[in-house]
Amino acid sequence: MKRVLSNKWSIAVFVLPTVLFFTYIVIVPIFKSFYYSLLSEIPAKVGDQSEFVWFANYIKMFTPGRRNDFPGAVVNSLSYAALSVFIQLPFSLMIALILANGIKGESLYRNVFFIPVVISSVVISLLWQRIYKDLVPAVYEVLNLTVPKNGFLANKDTKLMAVFLPSLWQFVGYHMLLMYGALKSIPSDIIEAATVDGAGASRMALRIQIPMIKPMLKVCLSFSLIGSFKLFDTPWILLERANKQLPALSMYVEMFSNHKYSYASAQAMFIVFECLAFTVLLNILFKDRDDMVSRKGRRRHAA
Amino acid sequence: MKKLVALVLSLAMMLSLTAAFAEEEVVTLTVSSIWSAETEANRAPFLKTLEEFEAAHPNIKLEVEWFEANAWKETGETLALSDSLPDVFYWNAGGVLWNLVGAGDILPLDEYLTDEIMARMEPGLLVDMTFDGKVYQLPYTKAASMMYCNTELFDKYNVKIPETWDELIAAVKTFRENGVTPMTVGGADQWPTNMYTDIIALRYAGDAACRAAYYKTEGATFMTQDWIDGVAAFKQLIDLGAFPEDAASLTRDESEVAYFAGEIPMYVHGQWFSGSLSPEMQQKVVAIKFPAVGKGYDNQYMGGAAEGFCVASYTEHPEEAFIACQFFAENLSKNGYIAGAGLPAWKYDFSAYTDLNPVMAMIKEATSTADSMLLWGNTALTGEDATLIGDTVYDVLTGEITPEQWCEDMETIFE
Repeated sequence: MKRVLSNKWSIAVFVLPTVLFFTYIVIVPIFKSFYYSLLSEIPAKVGDQSEFVWFANYIKMFTPGRRNDFPGAVVNSLSYAALSVFIQLPFSLMIALILANGIKGESLYRNVFFIPVVISSVVISLLWQRIYKDLVPAVYEVLNLTVPKNGFLANKDTKLMAVFLPSLWQFVGYHMLLMYGALKSIPSDIIEAATVDGAGASRMALRIQIPMIKPMLKVCLSFSLIGSFKLFDTPWILLERANKQLPALSMYVEMFSNHKYSYASAQAMFIVFECLAFTVLLNILFKDRDDMVSRKGRRRHAA
Repeated sequence: MKKLVALVLSLAMMLSLTAAFAEEEVVTLTVSSIWSAETEANRAPFLKTLEEFEAAHPNIKLEVEWFEANAWKETGETLALSDSLPDVFYWNAGGVLWNLVGAGDILPLDEYLTDEIMARMEPGLLVDMTFDGKVYQLPYTKAASMMYCNTELFDKYNVKIPETWDELIAAVKTFRENGVTPMTVGGADQWPTNMYTDIIALRYAGDAACRAAYYKTEGATFMTQDWIDGVAAFKQLIDLGAFPEDAASLTRDESEVAYFAGEIPMYVHGQWFSGSLSPEMQQKVVAIKFPAVGKGYDNQYMGGAAEGFCVASYTEHPEEAFIACQFFAENLSKNGYIAGAGLPAWKYDFSAYTDLNPVMAMIKEATSTADSMLLWGNTALTGEDATLIGDTVYDVLTGEITPEQWCEDMETIFE
């Protein structure tokens, strides 16, 4: 077996089917979408009537206009990404640290936090719809507060937060589990040594545990960012279709309601580029840090 | 002689064999309908129509897929992209139909439409189903927006059923003062709000101007005082608190719950709503034409033949598909009216039926003398124009734009 795997040709043969399949269902559509995004709008299926307009669809996407929602949608997705990174992930980390440090009912809590991840987004959305439409107004009434005009899901000041909250809540458990797993795999002798040296819980978390799960934090950060830019299902159901408030929603409406196939392809490409750009950025950021740490380490060693 | 007998016998055997095989040849047609929800007034009539079809045409097997209206619209458009629409399917008339006709998805039915069939249909209903002189769809119902008034609440608060705009405003104010929400609308679904804006705009701008704008005729415009006044009148209703506080976040189903419970006195909606009323509610509700504004357009209606059945152009069995399409249209027209779900689009003698939905009968009576019937804006317009009229009307409902801004936004469809 070892001999087979050390032969580059045999590796290529084993990998080829997957590579071909992946290329066909992922790479080719991306290039095809990019090609469509450079064309003028065409009536469905009449391919030969379109002509190259190059980046006109991309320019249109960001041309200011009172009815052009796309720039606003991008800003909304960025604010959702910020909420994910600065609220959802720290919260997940906090829970993971508490659970990993061993508390009574550890596995029960871990499972409870993970339940929303298992439930389908459709169910989550319908659940939160009832919370916003029935439960919260009822609580407001008891507390003698006024429900925002048009209700939480239609008021322009509250609707974005109302949509973001269920998604943030849903995936706390997911990131928590990833981080919890990483924390649990830290060798116990390191933790014991730190304890013997007198490190308290907060010092242990900040100096030992968090630095040691950095690769997993990077994974969580990537998932969280990419998930933010692609966010679709929960807002789609919660807002009952009446919206183009996020890039993915806008793309869907342009494609399937407005039949602007080229324009929708341009929006799809923007989402792809946005995800790629942030993944690369994240890699650069973490790589720089890694390099700095290892350089520091080498210098100290040399001294 | 023996040879001749043998030949005749074997021929007869072959003939009977082929006849036996021919008899067993069953054609399967795929069908899409939009009445998946148990609450849909047209569900039971369509199920009955399917039963009748199976009895009448045992050699045609139907595979029916059920959708909810909005879901089918999206699914259908997606299927059309890959030439995989079902053989016979429900579709809206007007612009959305034209989209599919333009893309070559729909079979023209003229070849199969005999004079005898045409004579059985109510006249003038194929306007929005005919393009370049060819018929692409058969209607099963005639639509009309009506105002449904719950007489029990009108009597309780001593309010006159409004016949003019001023009386409507007075009614709204009286109900509000008594803590009753005067009207309801499912804003989140967008199109129920269009029911209000369309009919009010029709009262102010008239059929000709609205038709020109919705069909994007040369020279049409939304930038007239009539359009602004129409949308402003709708805004006046919102400002008077005519609708529930959270109307913009209610779906149509959610918005109608309070009406069914007898808590809402007035509701503007399509004729199909009368089919959803319980027998007790049918005794309390009267369907009237929307109040008059006095600009000369008071006997005009929003509606017309807006829904029907089509045959996909790539069906393998065009003849059988036409038979099914025509059968569905004609029989659902009859069954729908008997069940109180819709106005008939085909001629039929209903005198034998004594327990017809009284509200539907009122609508049939009222619309029979209509000056004109005009398809709703979001049905006549297509693609992003249809999305725009939904979005902008929603923005008026939530107070995000003014009537003038609505007209400016809508004017962009002519660019």
